[in-house]
Amino acid sequence: MYQYSQADHQLLLERVTQFRDQVSRRLKGELSEDEFKQQRLRNGLYLQLHAYMLRVAVPYGLLSSEQMRTLAHIARRYDRGYGHFSTRQNIQYNWPKLEEVPEILDALAAVEMHAIQTSGNCIRNTTSDPLAGVARDEVADPRPYCELIRQWSTFHPEFNFLPRKFKIAVSGAIHDRAAVAVHDIGLRLVKNESDELGLEVYVGGGLGRTPMIGKLIREFLPVHDILTYLEAILRVYNQFGRRDNLYKARIKILVHETGEDEFRKQVEAEWENVKASKLRLRDEDIEAISAHFKDPDYEILPDNDADFDNHLITNPEFAKWVDNNLELHKKPGYRIAYLSLKSPDQPPGDVTADQMDAIADLADRYSLGQIRSTHRQNLVLSDVKLTDLFELWEELTKLGLATPNYNHLTDIISCPGMDYCALATARSIPIAQALTDRFESYDYVNDLGDISLNISGCINACGHHHVANIGILGVNKKGVEVYQLTLGGSAREDAAIGKILGPAFTADEIVDAIGEVLEVYLENREDSEEDFLTTYRRIGQSPFKERLYG
Amino acid sequence: MAYTVYTASLLKEGLVAYLSIRDGETSWTTDVNRATSTETVDDSILSTEAERSEQENIVVGVYSVEVTRDGDRLVPTENRERIRAGGPTVALPAAKNTTANARVAA
Repeated sequence: MYQYSQADHQLLLERVTQFRDQVSRRLKGELSEDEFKQQRLRNGLYLQLHAYMLRVAVPYGLLSSEQMRTLAHIARRYDRGYGHFSTRQNIQYNWPKLEEVPEILDALAAVEMHAIQTSGNCIRNTTSDPLAGVARDEVADPRPYCELIRQWSTFHPEFNFLPRKFKIAVSGAIHDRAAVAVHDIGLRLVKNESDELGLEVYVGGGLGRTPMIGKLIREFLPVHDILTYLEAILRVYNQFGRRDNLYKARIKILVHETGEDEFRKQVEAEWENVKASKLRLRDEDIEAISAHFKDPDYEILPDNDADFDNHLITNPEFAKWVDNNLELHKKPGYRIAYLSLKSPDQPPGDVTADQMDAIADLADRYSLGQIRSTHRQNLVLSDVKLTDLFELWEELTKLGLATPNYNHLTDIISCPGMDYCALATARSIPIAQALTDRFESYDYVNDLGDISLNISGCINACGHHHVANIGILGVNKKGVEVYQLTLGGSAREDAAIGKILGPAFTADEIVDAIGEVLEVYLENREDSEEDFLTTYRRIGQSPFKERLYG
Repeated sequence: MAYTVYTASLLKEGLVAYLSIRDGETSWTTDVNRATSTETVDDSILSTEAERSEQENIVVGVYSVEVTRDGDRLVPTENRERIRAGGPTVALPAAKNTTANARVAA
């Protein structure tokens, strides 16, 4: 993974020193809250419903075991013993004290981490495929390009006060595991007919109160031009994006109102001004960054193991985990393991400090010392030998991290909702927990197959409900929390915005309503191979509406 | 009958706090039940004291909350404020034995 240069270290040190001074001045009353708020947000510090919340960047979801141990230390020493992984692969602490935040930033800087640009109207942490570099369906490793974007966007003076926040995702695989279609800019690495590497450029995707799928504005951008083209898009957005209305300030609105063709023309025209600038990457620039992401020294291993096969036969619980929580690795004899953060005992995405330490140890022992976070709020050990899987599973089971539900019904994305968030209008976590309790049967959940269920506690849609096969949106209706259902969304390569099914349900009704939706699916699927989304697209909303609303 | 209390976040800790005036002394408590409401003190006095605390950088984001009295307890009328007063309604992950804020009505 990327190792900081001296300049990177210096930059972080200066930033922490600067913020320490700002905190000190705020506590002395030399800065007003209005003056300080802009500064703290630039350092990822929010004031939430119950306390401050610090969002720490996990660049493109990649963590070393040392970094994970530091996150555990912060959770234990400065917070309440846990952290929360978000849908943008970051980690959030819910209870830090303002006066201790500079110490936290010191601890993060010591392991090449920070909270810079995790809030505010700037370019946020770039997200990516959690299987980057190890996936079998990969065209090219997206991590070098993510890192180039990170370096380009950090403290970019021109884009530090954009009309609104700005999110970029990069995928290098056939299958989209990074939700690129619902980002302000989504980039997909592709090859052209001459086998040259380039990017599909999608702009104007997003969720929130106006969900939109990104528009393909360039089918093939040579990778050397990635930064010049991003610069051009951001310049057009910075100049023409609306600043008069918070709810119309995202680039998706600009693209929509300008029109896809005209927006493309504006970007291409601006690109002419910057395409030959120093931002254009040379081969050596890409090679220098790519060197940080070279393959480790994988062992030459057979892709089968008698002991592994024997465990599969003799241990049904292990077999369930293998069926649902493993992916094939690009190298024979290795597997990719999903650590489920969706156990019945904890809110989705939450990890305790003890679990973090244990995960770091497991990463060192079994997966070359690295951990990845996913946009579905899980973790990944990406390089596990087939021969180590049974031991790993035993350890994960003890830790409550082996729930065999990856990409299944109870692998629920949930925002913190009104239990933590100042913007939320309804609770999300109790609904997620009620659903997990109701659908605890492995056999039932497994029979449902590949399905996504996401919950947001307000229209800002941090729980990505719009792009779930089954989405739940919590809202406040005359003082009561009610939950609206959407069906048919997808965050993958067939991205789609779900459609509202009908009137909302109360908290007491929503779990049963989901049960009915699932029954309609089971009754209508052609066979057990047809997943929920395929069935929904084939039969439409009517059978679901009829069942739920008569 | 509904009363008003004043709430904000403590500047240093960020925790939810409520204005309390006892024996002429103004302080901020994290326990809503120890808040001073308009049941006993005039709203203009509470409002002035709350704003003064914000100017003195003790608290951030002062606003008023409607409450009702239930015996010794002050219960915010709105669900959001009940959660804010009582904490998350789910147990914190690191303390599974922690009692969640069970008093919140849906």
